[in-house]
Amino acid sequence: MNFKKQIFGFMDMLRFKKLVPNRRAALAAGSAEPLPRDYRVNRQARRLHPGMMEVELTAVRPLCPGMTELTFKRVDADAFPFFRAGQYVALQSKVGESLVSRPYSIVSSPRQALENVLVLGVADAGFFSGWLNREAKPGDRFRMTEPSGEFHYETLRDKKQIICVAGGAGITPFLSMAKSMLEGDEDYEMVLFYGARDEAHLAYKAELDAMAQQGLRVVYVLSDEEKPGFEHGFVTAQLMEQYADPRQATFFLCGPKAMYDFVGSQLAPYGLPLKAVRRDATCCGDLALDAPRSFKLTVHIRDRVYTMDAAEHETLLTAMERAGVPAPNKCRAGGCGYCHSKLLSGEFRVAEGRDGRREADRKFGYVHPCVTYPLSDMAIEVPAEE
Amino acid sequence: MEKHTTKAYDVVVVGAGNGGLTAAIRVLQGGYSCLVLEKHNLPGGFATSFKRGRFEFEASLHELNDFGSPEEPGDIRTLFRSLGVEDKIDWVRIPEAYHLITTDKQYDCEMPFGVEAFIDRMEEYVPGSRRSMTDFFALCNEVRDAQTYSNSVNGNTDSAYMKANFPNFIKAGSYSVNQVLEALKMPPRARDILNAYWCYLGVDCDRMSFLHYGSMVIRYITRDAWMPKMRSHEISLAMEERIRELGGDIWYNSPVTAIHAEGPGAITGVELADGTVIPTRHVIANCAPHLVFGKLLDEKAVTEQMVRATNARTFAGRGYTLFLGLNKSAEELGIKSHNYFIYDTADTARQYDLMRKVDTNHVQATVCLNNAWPGCSPEGTCMMYFTTMFMSDDWGSVEDTDYFKAKDRVADDMIRVFERETGCRIRDAIEEISVASPTTYARYCGHPQGVIYGYETAEWDSLMPRMMMMKEDAQLFPNLRFAGGWAMRSSGYSSAYVSGDLSGRQTVGDLKREVR
Repeated sequence: MNFKKQIFGFMDMLRFKKLVPNRRAALAAGSAEPLPRDYRVNRQARRLHPGMMEVELTAVRPLCPGMTELTFKRVDADAFPFFRAGQYVALQSKVGESLVSRPYSIVSSPRQALENVLVLGVADAGFFSGWLNREAKPGDRFRMTEPSGEFHYETLRDKKQIICVAGGAGITPFLSMAKSMLEGDEDYEMVLFYGARDEAHLAYKAELDAMAQQGLRVVYVLSDEEKPGFEHGFVTAQLMEQYADPRQATFFLCGPKAMYDFVGSQLAPYGLPLKAVRRDATCCGDLALDAPRSFKLTVHIRDRVYTMDAAEHETLLTAMERAGVPAPNKCRAGGCGYCHSKLLSGEFRVAEGRDGRREADRKFGYVHPCVTYPLSDMAIEVPAEE
Repeated sequence: MEKHTTKAYDVVVVGAGNGGLTAAIRVLQGGYSCLVLEKHNLPGGFATSFKRGRFEFEASLHELNDFGSPEEPGDIRTLFRSLGVEDKIDWVRIPEAYHLITTDKQYDCEMPFGVEAFIDRMEEYVPGSRRSMTDFFALCNEVRDAQTYSNSVNGNTDSAYMKANFPNFIKAGSYSVNQVLEALKMPPRARDILNAYWCYLGVDCDRMSFLHYGSMVIRYITRDAWMPKMRSHEISLAMEERIRELGGDIWYNSPVTAIHAEGPGAITGVELADGTVIPTRHVIANCAPHLVFGKLLDEKAVTEQMVRATNARTFAGRGYTLFLGLNKSAEELGIKSHNYFIYDTADTARQYDLMRKVDTNHVQATVCLNNAWPGCSPEGTCMMYFTTMFMSDDWGSVEDTDYFKAKDRVADDMIRVFERETGCRIRDAIEEISVASPTTYARYCGHPQGVIYGYETAEWDSLMPRMMMMKEDAQLFPNLRFAGGWAMRSSGYSSAYVSGDLSGRQTVGDLKREVR
């Protein structure tokens, strides 16, 4: 072929020759103004995703037996990020020689976050939660991860009608979801079934009753107490059908595993698709082993090396925290990938049903320490903390 | 961790994206020590994956071009072979080139790989197009050969040799795609169909250099496209493993906050947020020159020339991607193609204008990965991702309190357009959904304004003069080279690997000269 654009081929050639001088001139003609230090979209990214935040406890309030409300403000910025109701934060501190970190669902609403208020409801369950219930006081400083997690409404996926089922301390994300609905930030219609032992163990009853006046539908279900104005027993399909059609709803469940199993069995006859039932994640605990062995764990963080003991029934993350070695973590359920670490050597097992690794992570030897238990001496490489 | 100074490295690579990883392997293969610093906790930059429920989504890769088969490798497979990562990855071939749909002229064209098949199919859609299409591919072949020659001499081309061997390349070299196709007397409908790939380069065909487009199209059509089975995360981890094998270090959650230099060319080290200092004299930056010259480099080392040359350039598209995990198979939903391009209009310049605003942009490059690799999601499900770009910072006006709704509005529109144009009903099958907006890209990769395509390769800053000025541009700041989408070769997976290869090898050259 013989390509020609202009009548004479040499004119095309000449244009080609000018490409470099043209570009050279254009680069030299750029503005001499200082280059931007920052950009609008990047500022928004930092507001919505600040990463680790420094917070101060501003108020402590008992909610019900075994549960305390903690209110925080940020001290490294004027406001918390706007988030999606239903999400959690991980609260982190040091207790004794141990680093501690636990995810808690946010009780307050996304709008409150913009007023620099973030509220958690903490059940007196584990080591850190127990400490928070008994020892924490206003003025205490903590580190807190940005709001995270996929336990929230999705407008394009979920039904307009949502049925929320809370068991005990599992009420916390639904407070935020109800407030967010009433504040106009969410489009769903919400029915909340709140199961507890007895009335005394209902946290936030006054707040829920007040929201019920504004359009939230709340049904209290007491297992150990019979009382007018309260349902008795468990959250059964029959009970739910009195308030909404389970076939035309999306379910949000937050509570203990026994509750998930029970509600799951109640919903089984409807043959609902997987997408119709969302369950909040729960923290990965210890394995029940009779005589757990003890191994040596070597941890590389950048150019530093730490060695420590690691018990067979405890996760690698727990071993690092006990030794006071800072390791990134957030969900403690295997899913968020924030603790993603390179396996250098050793045998391990992953908590059942919690292997949230990517396919290639398994192929190339990566682990999520928050759900990984040692089966031999191990060495891992962990990213530095933020 | 308290502040401290680490051991010195011959080269520090800032950013573990496609370009940075490739460059690091090259440096290590050259026998020099190398540390890669990455702000995120994963390698790959855009080349990654993420999980939602029972789906593992591909974050960005639509198809890897110029890859070819093991027997007839393209340039990228050859590069992967030479890096020592080809065999670490399980590859699948993409079945067809593309499925073009435009709303205005109602195109619905499925184009195959292979030059003859492509020309035959075009003749079916546009009778009388055969001759101009044949000329087009002949011209593209010359473009490819000329570029191979240019790369082999690192951009220092001999003009007499070029004139003698690649005369058509030179004669077509200063024109836009549309100017050349017009000169080839290609029927307008064939031009429309052929221009479908334009969104992969993000510049309309009135302003995009023909050389750039032609060299990409020929690579797609003759050497077809491939994907890793385990999403692009598999490539990133394979390269990461290779870096470890070669004795390199790679640190995550380690954003660089400063590159220290006594003056232009006199780098002394890089600094991390916690004050850790890593001594080095050579940096390969897998990030934007806007960040390096505007923020990271010590001010005393930044000259007016660097500021002007950086300010002169234009940001390319800001990215937006919708990810859907569907609870029905592609077959059940009637989704037949791997790769859809859906445009409002076949007029690329008009389309580009519509893409300036979030509300007027309905472009989507959409992939149903199961049609290339059925095993990518559980039986009875499929996975899709829909990508578009905004050609301005319109997204930046979204308020924080409207952020989640704004993401949903674009996603809703993408689903609506896909359903309308293909007749496939996908909405009720959504089991998992996730959206990456320009804010998301800014968050994870730090790119200014959430740009995913680096600098626009349009008009004066098109690919050819960039290639010819490779040496000159590097003299702006000796011992600092760029890799990845912001570098000379511009964005896209293959281009990023190539730029990493070049910068890595050139840095090895710099180090060798230093010794001499």
